[in-house]
This record gives sequence, structure tokens and C-alpha cells, in this order.
Amino acid sequence: MPKLVSVALALGLLAGTAAAQADETVRFWYHFDNADNPMSELVAKFEAENPGIKIEAENIPWNSYYDNLYTSIVAGNAPDAAMVKMFAQPRLVEMGALEPIGDRIDAWEGKADLQDNLLNLAQASDGNSYYLPVQYVVLYLYYRQDMFEELGLEVPKTCDDFRDAAIKLTRDTDGDGQTDVYGFGFRGGKGGHDHWGSLVLSRSGVDFSKDSLGSEAGVAGSQWVVDLFQKDKVFPPSAPNDGFKEVTGAFKAGKTAMTIHHIGSSNGMVEALGDAVSAAPVPECGGGHWTAFGDESTAIFSSAQNKDAAWKWISFLSSEGNNKEFNMATGQLPVTKSDSENWTLHEKRFVDATVGSLPFANLLPNTPETSDFVNTVWPVNMQRALTGEITAEQMNAEINKLYNP
Amino acid sequence: MLTMNEPMGRAALARKVLPYALLSPAVLVTLAIVFFPMIQAAWMSLHDYILWKPKDFTFVGLKNFATALGDEVFWISLKHTVIWIALTIPAQLLLGLATALLLNQEFPWRPLARALVIIPWALPSVVIALMWVWIYDANYGILNEFMLRLGLIKASVPWLADPDTALYAIILTLTWQGFPFFAVMILAGLQSIPKSYYEAASLDGASTLRQFWHITLPGISGVLITAVLLRTIWVANSIDVIFVMTGGGPGYATYTLPLYAFIKARTNLDFGYGSSLAVLFTLMLLGLVVVYLRRAGRGID
Repeated sequence: MPKLVSVALALGLLAGTAAAQADETVRFWYHFDNADNPMSELVAKFEAENPGIKIEAENIPWNSYYDNLYTSIVAGNAPDAAMVKMFAQPRLVEMGALEPIGDRIDAWEGKADLQDNLLNLAQASDGNSYYLPVQYVVLYLYYRQDMFEELGLEVPKTCDDFRDAAIKLTRDTDGDGQTDVYGFGFRGGKGGHDHWGSLVLSRSGVDFSKDSLGSEAGVAGSQWVVDLFQKDKVFPPSAPNDGFKEVTGAFKAGKTAMTIHHIGSSNGMVEALGDAVSAAPVPECGGGHWTAFGDESTAIFSSAQNKDAAWKWISFLSSEGNNKEFNMATGQLPVTKSDSENWTLHEKRFVDATVGSLPFANLLPNTPETSDFVNTVWPVNMQRALTGEITAEQMNAEINKLYNP
Repeated sequence: MLTMNEPMGRAALARKVLPYALLSPAVLVTLAIVFFPMIQAAWMSLHDYILWKPKDFTFVGLKNFATALGDEVFWISLKHTVIWIALTIPAQLLLGLATALLLNQEFPWRPLARALVIIPWALPSVVIALMWVWIYDANYGILNEFMLRLGLIKASVPWLADPDTALYAIILTLTWQGFPFFAVMILAGLQSIPKSYYEAASLDGASTLRQFWHITLPGISGVLITAVLLRTIWVANSIDVIFVMTGGGPGYATYTLPLYAFIKARTNLDFGYGSSLAVLFTLMLLGLVVVYLRRAGRGID
């Protein structure tokens, strides 16, 4: 495979030198899952307001978004601006690929309209600002209101309640001796670290610092998750490999009674389940509360030729009205205060669950290791622990080793 | 070499140079897109090279190779690669042979059957992978439904999420994808065997089995060996179906060496280590490649 990548690099270099950019062109990369994306309308509006600037917006598939971004930077063919997440920031900073935009943000009239605290969350560990927030979500618990009512259950407030409810919700509904509904749709594949985080990192004293995950509380957390699968059998048997598609699909099909995701999937859930689906903050576990903050920002690359034009474009996306358009397409929440008021795209119960989760919403550590944690170390070790190849203690030790070599 | 003053003259020189001139674009392109990246990969494998630390390109000699030999995942992947090749190729070969023998019989609709059998081979790997993910699905998959109704299993089996079955489930998929290649190659070989051999044999009273053993098999042995060699190299290198179906999971249950190299380089961005894995695997495959090249060379001569 490195062969292929080198070819890509070589070709990228050629393309980069050959296609000398026209003076006022901004090449912008983004990723939308939604097929009918409104980027062309936003581009048309921007180009009408800013004659002389041309936006070349490219939708890059999410699965290889960062692979493409890093390789394009090394090949000298990076876009001028792009949508970026916090976990990628330490690496991009290390590569010297990002343009500090703190001064531009301070001088920008739209700054006051941004939701409080978002700029602080997006700040880099070196004290600079490279990111301009464009949307956000917070993960919360989806649950089947109708099933909870049928069994007379309360929405779980703590992990003990959660386990109790999950066991009761795991049922054979048609009497053929097989489980038809599982209590919780756990995401054991890539991206599932958010589920694990809510159930493990919440525990007091458990984080990514040295030997913390190896402590008694840390190991107990992962063990508890493994036990839910192996002993209590409240996750579907396919849980170790399940990703976003499987987890939301099973929930919509009524195969699971609870799962964790963000507001981006709420409209699809309502379409499938109507009033039967509701939401609440994730349970409190082991004396603490943790949920994942799903960030998305835009950034300008240091290699950009027209940084002023690039700034005009990304600040346009985070301004009143445009930000609303943008988030109507992505199904996430606007970063501007003005667009957040009277936000009608999502039903209120999901917005409430999001807002209710904000006080304990966290980002993963702002270090270069986090990419490996998300992409390989967590999924591989969680899957091995779930399938009994390693113990919960070994799993935590691997993660500890990554962050504290 | 030749100069203008020598008696051979201009035309002769042109005749001598022309073939090389005509070949050179192909050679140049091959050098640029095959050999240059190969050498680059070998060069990278001797360095610490992590893509997001572009300034750090330190020569470390064989350190990456030493790390690989001490790496648990390397050995797990190697074991899976061996299982992967050792099961897929014979399964494809036998299924292909059976299909070819069937298709070589006279029966109505034979042209249609011959056209249909090629379908798995003609479909893109990604489509095949997605299709089989659905077949194996623990909740809705047709395989579980089928086996439940037949009473073969008591509860749905998560074929791809269980480390004991995941690799074999993918091997079955790959067998299905690749057997038409063998079927078509063998069918071509079968048709090149003169009918008169069989007529002579049956006059001598040879049974069908003996005819197969003494006429058919020797007649297609050349095709078989070439097809097995080619297919082994392809199957050994193929990661697309695994990547789409499980991404290597659960855990390392479906990691093969090329997939491990790909994940190390492309996902973890550790190009030094990823390249060294790829180089190691290339060296292992080289033996097969040499055998193949010898046969191919003999064919040309």
C-alpha cells in the first residue's frame, strides 16, 4: 500500500505545481453524509456577496477524510481551508500546517454571536487559535419511551440503573426462545470510544493520565462494559463490529432499546419511531459524569495563497443565517447564538438532552496520540476484550501505554 | 555501438533503435509508477517516518524489521495470511474445476450458464463485500435465517463479529468471488484437449475416472499451475474485501499482513513501519513470483 500512497504523493506534487492557482480561488474541503448538501447554494451566495473570490468546495468521503488531508499536506497540495475536528489539531499543529487565526477572530464582527465557550474549547494547547467552530453536537442517551413505559422503568440516572434497565429491556418478545430486543446498542467498532467514555471515563479519578486507566476504578469500568456484553448479554451479539450504521439501524428497527448518539441522527430516529423515541443525558457512572463533545470547526492552512479570501469564506460559514443553512444540511447544531434561538430543525426533547449534557461534555485529550486511540487502539482492544481474547485490565493497559509510553 | 559512418547505415540504425523508442514510454511509465514507489517504500522502511512529523526522517537501519519480528500483531497477521491463502486457493480451485467440468458437458442453455458463472468475478469487490456483510448479518442476514429454519443453529451467529468465525466467513466470500476465474481458465484448457484422445481411451475401455486422471488432468495441468500461481499472488495481496467487511476486526481476528501494513501506514500514518511490513511480505511472496516468471518466460520463448 505505501506504493500507492507514494504515487498519490507524487501525483499530488505534480498537480500542485502544474495547476498554479488563480489569484482569488479558495479550495475548501468538507465532509457531509447528507446526499443533498447545500454547499453549492452557500457557495453561490458567497460568490455573489464577494465578487472576485471563487470557492472550489470539495466533498471528501468521511472514511478517508483525514488520510487524504494529511497526505495532501505532505505532498504540498493541501486545500486552502477545510472542515476539521479537534482530535486532528495536535497533528496538524505539529506538521506546521495550520494558520493562526486568533487576530482575525478578535477583529471579526461575528465573534460576539458565537456560543459561549466554543472558542475556548477549540483553542490549541500552544495557546493559539487555529480553529473557527462551525457546528457542534453532544452525545446523549436515546431510549425507547414506549418500552420503558411498558415495563414501568425509569430513565436511568446512574450506571446501576442503566444496567438494571438494560437487563429488563433485553427480552424475547415473540416467545420463540430467542432474544428479539437488546437493552443497549453498543458501538464496538470505530467511533465507539464515546460509548465507552460515558461508561468508564465518567468514574471519578479515571482519565488518560499515567496509570489512571490501570487503577482499580479504571479497570472496573472497562470490566463492567465487558460484563454487560458477556455476562448480562444486553448488547446484540454483533456489537464488537458494529459501527454507526449498525447501531442506529438496530435502534430504528426496534432491535435495541437504548443507544448513545447525538442530535444528528434524531430526525431519522423520529421518522422511524415517532414519539416512541426520546432522549436524556447519559447516566452518571462511578461518581462522575462524562459525555463526548462532538466538535467541528473550519481552519485555514499555512500553505494557502489567499488567506484573506479563505478567512472571508470560513467566517461566512460561521455567521448568522449561513451557519443555519450549513447545519440544516449536517443535522447538527449552529454555533451562532442568533441561529440557535428559534432553532426548529430538531424536536425540542433532543435539543434539551443536548443542552442538559453540555455541563459534563468533554473532548478527548488534545494530544497527537488521540488519533491512534480513536482509529486503532481503542477499537482493536475493545473488540478483543469483548470477545474474550484479552482482559479488561489488558485493554486499559494498552490505552495507558499509548498515552503514557 | 553503431555510428553513422559504419556500413550499416541510417536505415539499419533506425530499425535497431525504433523498437526501443516505441517501448520507452511504457518503460518510463512503469518505472515512474511501479519501480520508483517500490524503491521509495524500501527506502522508507529503513527510516523512522511518521507522516505527521514530516521533519523527522531518521535513518534507523533495520530497526523497523526487528520491531516487526518482535511484534505480536505481525505474527498474528502472518498466521492469518497463511490460513487465508491455504484455504482460499484450494477451495477456489476445486470449485472452479467442478464448475468447468460441468460447463464442458453438453446441455441446453450452456452458453447462458457460462455467461452467468462469471458474475461473481465481474462484480466489484466492494459490492461483493457489502452483499456478504448483509448475508452474514446477525439480525437480518439470510444465512442465519436459513440455518435457523433448518434447525442447524439455535440462535443467530454473529459471523463477522465472532473472532472464531470472522476469518472463515471472509474466506468463503473470497472463494465465491474467485472461483469463476479458475472455472473459465480451466474451461479454456479443457477445450484444447482433442476429442480424439477420449474416443481412443473409451475404445480401449478406460473408465470416466481413468480418462479424467490420464487425459483431462495432464491436459490442463499447465493452465492449473499458472492459474494457481497468479491467483495466490492476487489473493495474498488482496485486502479490499477484508477491509470493507470487517476492517480487520474484531480485534486482530481478520488482520492479514498486507492489511496490517495498510492500516499502519494509512491510518496510523507510520510509513516507516508500514513500509517495512510491506517489504517483508514482498520478500515472502518473491519466491512465488520467481516461479511464475520462470514459467511465463518459458511460455514466451
